[in-house]
Amino acid sequence: MLLSPEVLALLILNVIFFLFAIIAFILSVKIFLKWDLNSTSQAQYKLEKQSFLTATIIKYIFIIKVPLFLFFIFTLDKISGLLTGAMCAAGVVNATSYGTYLILLKILNLYLFAYWLALHNEDMKHEHQPYTKMKFGIFIAAFFLLMTEIILEGVMFKAIDIEKVVDCCGAIYSSSANSYISVIFRLKASLLLVLFYGNFLLIVIFYFLKKRYIFALSNAFFIIISLITLISFFGTYIYQLPTHHCPFCFLQKDYYYIGYFIYIFLFIGTFYGLLSGFLRTSEKEISKNYKIALLFNFLYVILLTSYPILFYIKNGVWL
Amino acid sequence: MIELKHITKIYELNRADRVVALNDVSLSIKEGVVLVLKGASGSGKSSILSLIAALSKPTSGEVIVDGKKISKLSDNFASVYRRDNIGFVFQKYNLIPNLSVRDNILLPLVPLNLDAKDAEEKLALVMEMFHIAHKANAIVKNLSGGEQQRVAIARANINNPKIILADEPTANLDEKLSLSFIEILKELKSLNKTIVIATHDPLFFNLDFVDSVVEIHNGIVR
Repeated sequence: MLLSPEVLALLILNVIFFLFAIIAFILSVKIFLKWDLNSTSQAQYKLEKQSFLTATIIKYIFIIKVPLFLFFIFTLDKISGLLTGAMCAAGVVNATSYGTYLILLKILNLYLFAYWLALHNEDMKHEHQPYTKMKFGIFIAAFFLLMTEIILEGVMFKAIDIEKVVDCCGAIYSSSANSYISVIFRLKASLLLVLFYGNFLLIVIFYFLKKRYIFALSNAFFIIISLITLISFFGTYIYQLPTHHCPFCFLQKDYYYIGYFIYIFLFIGTFYGLLSGFLRTSEKEISKNYKIALLFNFLYVILLTSYPILFYIKNGVWL
Repeated sequence: MIELKHITKIYELNRADRVVALNDVSLSIKEGVVLVLKGASGSGKSSILSLIAALSKPTSGEVIVDGKKISKLSDNFASVYRRDNIGFVFQKYNLIPNLSVRDNILLPLVPLNLDAKDAEEKLALVMEMFHIAHKANAIVKNLSGGEQQRVAIARANINNPKIILADEPTANLDEKLSLSFIEILKELKSLNKTIVIATHDPLFFNLDFVDSVVEIHNGIVR
């Protein structure tokens, strides 16, 4: 088992999350099944006290879990130096059969945990806590995903064999590779760019039309199309190499850690975009969510667009 | 209008140590009324006050103030309710001893972020009303018991609350100061405030401005 200080920190945190999540899960089930705010019984008052405690436990698990995703990526990147063949986090992800599933699960959980926090925040703004039952219901579902993530993370770190030579990102994210990911590199750049800017244009149009559900939906599509375009097209301009498509290398110092900004912009933009559609709140809050979504999606688009443009200005050619 | 419906309050330190402070208490207090809760120490008077102030929640039952179920409020909303509606006078005054009179009285205004002029106007009004203006800059710990009680009641009134709750307000005062405090309560009654006093001081039981006296014995209203 690979036990660098970063991995150790993640594992210790996971043990803490595991224990507290189990407590929160047991109480959540109880609250979800028996909650009735209109009741003035002793059992309901007890549940109200417990709901505050439980929500606080969940809140702090998720508040730490959300930014911890970046630390997890940073850790993968850091330990890549210990694996023969790995040049960045991609090599570590690919070193075991769990890595890719773990990353996908972490992305799903990232949105889910952030949504729970937003829901809880909204719930606490109302005297009659309209979302209490819903938020504990969501946590019950999220609990299983959280547990899967924790277990998968432990299993992945345990399965990493530092004696084993792993593939580097150049081999994993190559158009000649035989993986499902290589399919996206064969897509035409022009098609991807039309989809990418077209999708962003739709976000802008639905922002002005204030169509919250379609706005949320276009943000959901934007997550997928953005990641594909980033890996397939924009990444090559960040690396200034037409054959390099790695989604992790630009997290490194050599690229001024720009990857963190890229992913943070994308996450915040699309998360608030989804939130505007999936969280019933005041008009003021929805309007705020719209604005944050548009701002961060815009920053994301500007940041990515600047790379090919600057490359063209500097070199007079496209890759 | 304050309504307590079938209130039970149990303090449970552990499974073996369980105190029933209130047992199925129902009580209705109309607006502008002065009500005295009479009973021995430990009878449950203070528990009723803390429930009305939303400082604690009942074990079962309901507290409704002006149609709002305050026993159902979360801590955040309970604080706002308290800030806007309740003035609490404690037996031991609960002042901050090293602060001046004016700073103690101004404390409830801090979360409101009022501008200095408005705050000073409110301060001047209550200090005048409760005859403590001449001690505005004195440090509280140097004041007499009666003066401290006047500071406490000025602080309780600076937000102009509709409800004044007083928990054994004369327990630390001599008879002269107690009578002067009663005069203050009379003045507050004339301003149509609802006043609930928990006390076992006989001075309160035959006052002309007191609308009703409720006796509590071992957590049960008689």
